[in-house]
Amino acid sequence: MTQFSPKIIVFVCNWCTYTAADLAGTSRLPYPPEIRMIRLMCTGMIDTKYILKAFLDGADGVFIGGCHPGDCHYIDGNLKAEKRITGLREMIKHFGFDEQRLQLEWIGASEGPEFQKHMIDFVQKIKDLGQGQTRDLMIL
Amino acid sequence: MKVQKPEIGVYICHCGMNIYPKVDVVKVAEHAKTLTHVSVADEYKFMCSNPGQELIIEDIRQKGLNRVVVASCSPRMHEPTFRKAVEMAGLNRFYFQMANIREQSSWVTLDPDLATQKAIELVSAAVKRVTFHAPLYTRDVPVRKSVLVAGGGIAGMQSALTAAEAGFKVHLVERETYIGGHMAKFDKTFPTLDCAACISTPKTVAVGQHPDITLHSYSEITAISGFVGNYKAVIKKKPRFIQEDKCTGCGLCAEKCPVSVSDPFNENLSRRKAVFRSFPQAVPLSFCIEKKDTAPCRTSCPAGTNVQGYVQMVKAGNYQKALNIIMERLPLPGVLGRVCPHPCESNCRRSSADSAVSIRALKRFAADNADFCNVPLPDVKERDAKIAVIGSGPSGLTVAYYLRLKGFKITIFESMEKPGGMLRTGIPDYRLPPAVLDREIEHILSTGIELRTGMALGIDFTLKNLGEEEFKAVFLGIGANVPIKMHIENEEAEGVVDAVVFLRRENLEKQHAAKKRVVVIGGGNVAIDAARVAARSGADEVSVVYRRSREEMPADREEIEGALEEGIEFINLAGPKKILVKNGYVTGIECIKNELGPVDDSGRRRPMPVEGSEYAIECDMIIPAIGQGVETDPLMKDNHFELTRWGTLSVDSMTCQTSEPGIFAAGDAVTGPATVVEAIAEGHRAVTAIERYVNGKMALFETEAEQQEKENSKNDCPPIPDDIQPVRRAEPVTADPLIRKNSFDEVDLGLDEASAVEDAGKCLNCSVCCECMECRDVCEVNAVDHEMEKETTEVDVGAVILATGFKTFQAEKLFQYGYGIYPEVYTSLEFERLNNATGPTSGEIVMKNGRKPESVAIVHCVGSRDSRNNKYCSRVCCMYSMKFAHLVKEKTGAEVWEYYIDMRSPGKLYEEFYTRVMEEGVHLVRGRVAEITDLTDRREDDGKLTVVAENTLTGKNMRTPVDMVILSVGLESAEGSEDIGRMTGVSRDKDGWFNELHAKLAPVSTPISGIFLAGCCQGPKDIPDTVAQASGAAGEAISLLSRGSVSTKAEISFIDPELCAGCRTCIEVCAYSAIDFDGSKNISVVNETLCQGCGSCSSACPASAAGVKHFTDLQLMNELEGFL
Repeated sequence: MTQFSPKIIVFVCNWCTYTAADLAGTSRLPYPPEIRMIRLMCTGMIDTKYILKAFLDGADGVFIGGCHPGDCHYIDGNLKAEKRITGLREMIKHFGFDEQRLQLEWIGASEGPEFQKHMIDFVQKIKDLGQGQTRDLMIL
Repeated sequence: MKVQKPEIGVYICHCGMNIYPKVDVVKVAEHAKTLTHVSVADEYKFMCSNPGQELIIEDIRQKGLNRVVVASCSPRMHEPTFRKAVEMAGLNRFYFQMANIREQSSWVTLDPDLATQKAIELVSAAVKRVTFHAPLYTRDVPVRKSVLVAGGGIAGMQSALTAAEAGFKVHLVERETYIGGHMAKFDKTFPTLDCAACISTPKTVAVGQHPDITLHSYSEITAISGFVGNYKAVIKKKPRFIQEDKCTGCGLCAEKCPVSVSDPFNENLSRRKAVFRSFPQAVPLSFCIEKKDTAPCRTSCPAGTNVQGYVQMVKAGNYQKALNIIMERLPLPGVLGRVCPHPCESNCRRSSADSAVSIRALKRFAADNADFCNVPLPDVKERDAKIAVIGSGPSGLTVAYYLRLKGFKITIFESMEKPGGMLRTGIPDYRLPPAVLDREIEHILSTGIELRTGMALGIDFTLKNLGEEEFKAVFLGIGANVPIKMHIENEEAEGVVDAVVFLRRENLEKQHAAKKRVVVIGGGNVAIDAARVAARSGADEVSVVYRRSREEMPADREEIEGALEEGIEFINLAGPKKILVKNGYVTGIECIKNELGPVDDSGRRRPMPVEGSEYAIECDMIIPAIGQGVETDPLMKDNHFELTRWGTLSVDSMTCQTSEPGIFAAGDAVTGPATVVEAIAEGHRAVTAIERYVNGKMALFETEAEQQEKENSKNDCPPIPDDIQPVRRAEPVTADPLIRKNSFDEVDLGLDEASAVEDAGKCLNCSVCCECMECRDVCEVNAVDHEMEKETTEVDVGAVILATGFKTFQAEKLFQYGYGIYPEVYTSLEFERLNNATGPTSGEIVMKNGRKPESVAIVHCVGSRDSRNNKYCSRVCCMYSMKFAHLVKEKTGAEVWEYYIDMRSPGKLYEEFYTRVMEEGVHLVRGRVAEITDLTDRREDDGKLTVVAENTLTGKNMRTPVDMVILSVGLESAEGSEDIGRMTGVSRDKDGWFNELHAKLAPVSTPISGIFLAGCCQGPKDIPDTVAQASGAAGEAISLLSRGSVSTKAEISFIDPELCAGCRTCIEVCAYSAIDFDGSKNISVVNETLCQGCGSCSSACPASAAGVKHFTDLQLMNELEGFL
């Protein structure tokens, strides 16, 4: 039996978490191959429709990584993202969706090991939750 | 418009052995060929190399590609390289996308098949995305040819000089009063043993004199905004209180300054004055006055007296100046030096170490030992306005004196024969000798104040009369003289005399009218005064009856103790019920016992009568002293004054003005019976108000009130040193109770000179500068300006160089090394000062006892290479430790032990220096020191420190007795670097050092274009590396700015005018105010110069009208689809 290999989309900002991912790479810190990363300039750029699209197209989990509060390259884009994601999590619950599949974390540019840990943990969490059924559950 | 069919070329990079063989690049390329619109897919060993780039260029030209995907490393590394290649082939540089299959796949995926699969997906997503890329164009914007350098250490100075020499304007900001940073504290530098001052002073002088460098010393950057080429910085300059352009650096001010505080420049190994210059060669050479938050003694004084100022002057033996300072706020120093309840002493911070400074006694000492004739009076400009002051108590005298000094014509009206009010009639002579009061009132009147005695308001004159005499304003300082009744039976009996009346008679007429057995009712100072006066006026027995316990008596402790010494009996927890009378004469008083109940509004426990516990006290005289009211009847004849519910005058709390315009009041008449100092404090308020009233400027009070609300106390007094040697509080000599109780001679004989000076020496100088103004008076060029305020300047610059340096590791954290416990354990910076010619010992390496050490241990890696503190190596400690070893040997001949983990000496001439020092006979012990203790193994070593370590080369444990230990503390990121990081957007690593753009290829650049790094703010480094890096940072800045323009970002927001509904949501979320509203079209429009491309507007736009170029919905959605 082949183990369930989830599809995971990771949205990251260019300045902090993408840099952390690069650092994890240069430091050769392995993490599961299921991670598919999309680079944005800032997490504040993330439109809720990207996240919904990811789930609708079959993503089993969506992870968003931004700068720590106060460190945002664009002053407070990360906090705008946080507000938006919090609202989205609240909303999608009502569509029978497990909000644990959507996670937001602050990972600073020098936090390669933290990036690795978050990736390992998130993939494990999604594996434990099993295949997403968003497509069946959400009728938009 | 003709839509071009996408023709995509995909190139997979091997990156040598980094991507291939983990990722099967051939397989990835083969898969890429199957993707829509892909016409070429290839792999190559190094795509970033010239042949690799040529491959792309050729294919674009030959095969008609119009889009390119390169799957290789991070776009943060080579995106610019490939974009340039694409551009060289004639395509727009944005027709390019990178797939990061190295950092995101080959380096982090363990399984080769999975890594290949992931690479395939990354390439698919990139191909999908690039299909929808669009050409973008940048604009050139002009840059400012100026540089901001943050930090004036050797790095900042080097950067500033390099940029300035190239013709750029430089703003150098340094938070200390001097430039030179840590290097200014060093004596010698490794490995050449150059004198640090000799090589750094030419730099500091050059910076100070360079016409293109603006030096902002004692300043901090509070904000940085803008973008590459066009930054704006806000610089706050702290006040030096000495004008830099006038100060000649002569140092007379520091000679005169009485305040001594520990000197942080000398690592607190010596003391300096409140006015200081850190070292003689400092640039700028100007002195600086250190002022902290106002001292608690001064803030707790109701009258705001500069307590620290006069205490320091007593310490300095300048009693006249002390008196002058007191007289600035208190017109009656000798009086207050005797009767003030001294809230200042209760708030004195010294009391947490041993005991409060005897402030009141020092005030009296100054008043008794200086001459009132010599108190300087301001040059009074006479004014025509006449002010009437009614009452010559403390508030009236204050108002009269300070208004007179402002030039007003003052007339005091006093109902008694002599001025002084309650000071004369209420306070007994043994506490306040009349001669003291006379001397001070005489001085007040000598300023040209008219005094009319025997003038009682309502009898001899009325307020109406004053109007006729053309007084512009009237001050009512009529006090509170009407006794309050106890409201018990027989209060009118013969033998009941109120305390105010009794004291007035005894004070003025010396009637000796006390009966044999006297009972005083009350617990305040008036009650104790009455009791002690009664004892002196013929009473055999005196008792004080008070309803609460003795601890709760409001009277001063000194007074209660004085009364006890004089044999006065205290009957506490007793409430008077009725006066016992026979034939109309008092025979006793019936009291009821009280017990203490719950706490009441005053915070004290309420006395509760115990039913049936009544008992009688025999006596023939009863003196009630339970309070006084204000006699307002004479005032009400012509006017209607509003009164409080206690029957006192109701006034505006800020202006002291009564309900009648132009009539002001303060003192007991307003507050009810209170202290002298409170009356004076309110008098000052009235002085300000009356002056403003006469000048028609009462509105000022309102604006001030608003300002005051904004100002918060900083509470930044220097910490109380933990090594204070306790000094016994100076207690004044008092007259023998047996003798004094029969006399009205003064009881408290004051301090002698030696005790006064010693006690003043206890002052901790909580405000640092005591504002005695000695510096101002001595400065020949009038450079001292105590009113100086902080200045804020804004500068526009093209680039910013961060050179914020480091701080040293706090050695206290490693308690096993005993730093802060054993005096002979020093940090390396302390040793640098100890060894420095301008340091605390003028360069002598001596112990605290003044002797040269015979053995010295130097401990490496303190706080460095330590998993519990800093894991990193601080890079400089091995070499400076070898330098220390050499210097100790050279100057003292002592035996030196170096405890190291590994000796790190890479660098030009470093290894040679290490060898040389080793050959000088230094003992090298390889091993981390476990402990430093004062427990010695042999009696002859008592007093020495024992260094406990294992020599890991011999495997032997060592216990080495030494005289002195130097801890080679590591380097940590500087205080405040976090703030600078946030202001500029430059991130810091886990240890707090600023992140460079690339560890190897861009060590002085940051991810933020136009912001560069120099020196230790990026990581620990020695002076040569710092200087090299600083020159490099300046070079980068020059290279950026020289062309005169930079390209703007192309990846910025746009708003589709067709879709925009004009809701302005985008304008609200934009952090850069980069979106304007076009009212004529009812749409939002992006200001392309200000937009930073963060995309907040894009995600917030409900109409999906806003987007970010190169991060459009279409592009991102397709990238997503490529993954799923």
